[in-house]
Amino acid sequence: MNTTFRLGRVGVVTLLLGAAAAMPALAHHSFAIFNMEQTRVFTGVVTRINPDANHLQIFFVPMNDERKGVLRSEDGKPMVWAVEMAGSAQAASQGISVNSLPPGTYISVALHPLRSGEAAGSRAETGAIYRCPDKKAPEAGKHCDTVEGRLAFGDGPLAAAKD
Amino acid sequence: MTLHDLALAVGNSGVGAWMRSNLHAMPVVEATHVLAAATVLGTVLVVDLRLLGFTDRKRAVTVVSREMLGFTWAGFVLAVITGVMMFAANANTYYGNTAFRIKLLLLAAAGLNMAIFNLGALRSVVQWDLQQRTPRAARVAAALSVLLWVSVIFVARWIGFTKGYDFAVPDNVDLDLTIP
Repeated sequence: MNTTFRLGRVGVVTLLLGAAAAMPALAHHSFAIFNMEQTRVFTGVVTRINPDANHLQIFFVPMNDERKGVLRSEDGKPMVWAVEMAGSAQAASQGISVNSLPPGTYISVALHPLRSGEAAGSRAETGAIYRCPDKKAPEAGKHCDTVEGRLAFGDGPLAAAKD
Repeated sequence: MTLHDLALAVGNSGVGAWMRSNLHAMPVVEATHVLAAATVLGTVLVVDLRLLGFTDRKRAVTVVSREMLGFTWAGFVLAVITGVMMFAANANTYYGNTAFRIKLLLLAAAGLNMAIFNLGALRSVVQWDLQQRTPRAARVAAALSVLLWVSVIFVARWIGFTKGYDFAVPDNVDLDLTIP
């Protein structure tokens, strides 16, 4: 009787551990703050990466359409955007890390912007993040996925913009 | 080498990279850190409650404290190891986090309180080892210890919710798209 009870408890513990192991695959919070209907595609310069365990963020300054400079506010300050995704370990499984996208790297990313209008968004569910070769910006209006020698982090083509 | 450089070096270490890239590392290390912290707080509380006169005076202060000390140290060492591992995962963010800094100061204060008690009130312990009411200095040290260790737990929990976003652009990033 006692033995059965103990086995039962071991079973419960095993189940809990299993559930805990599966947890990181799930999202850490709801997506209600993002406008999931809208997709914006940016090509920009990475300024830093925050490898948070729950949500990794890449901070970048978008390039202008000519790809000859970055977006700046009227007083000349660079307009920094943040794109948030799954936790650092899941991002690392696609090759996204502080080492693979150092500051100064040119990237192209599709994101669902915040409803608040602030300069941040959630990475689009489909498509890779593309990295241009060092110091090679795409042609005007194009993204890193069109540049010879690009790297892809994740699967599929860059998600298309959608309003 | 500044403190910030040291923090970044810890972050750039192999341990940091492993913590960032292994799916199970953070949850396992985090859970271990909680268990270690629970061991430290639990065993410290047992001694503090005896010093404050809440538990059986027939159990000598020296006996209670000797029984607990090994567990306290083991828990503390484990907490430091797992803590450094979690710090390494995102060193720059934790370095700038106010709650994290307050936590380190509280830990230092708790250590200092313990050292003062060991060098002071505890030296005359043979005279009050079996008393329910311990000297005022011992009770003050015990009360401070409870307050500091409980505060450590609270402020530690704040860290996870105040990590914030750093939009500042580092100086070395070329935003003029200069072609080499």
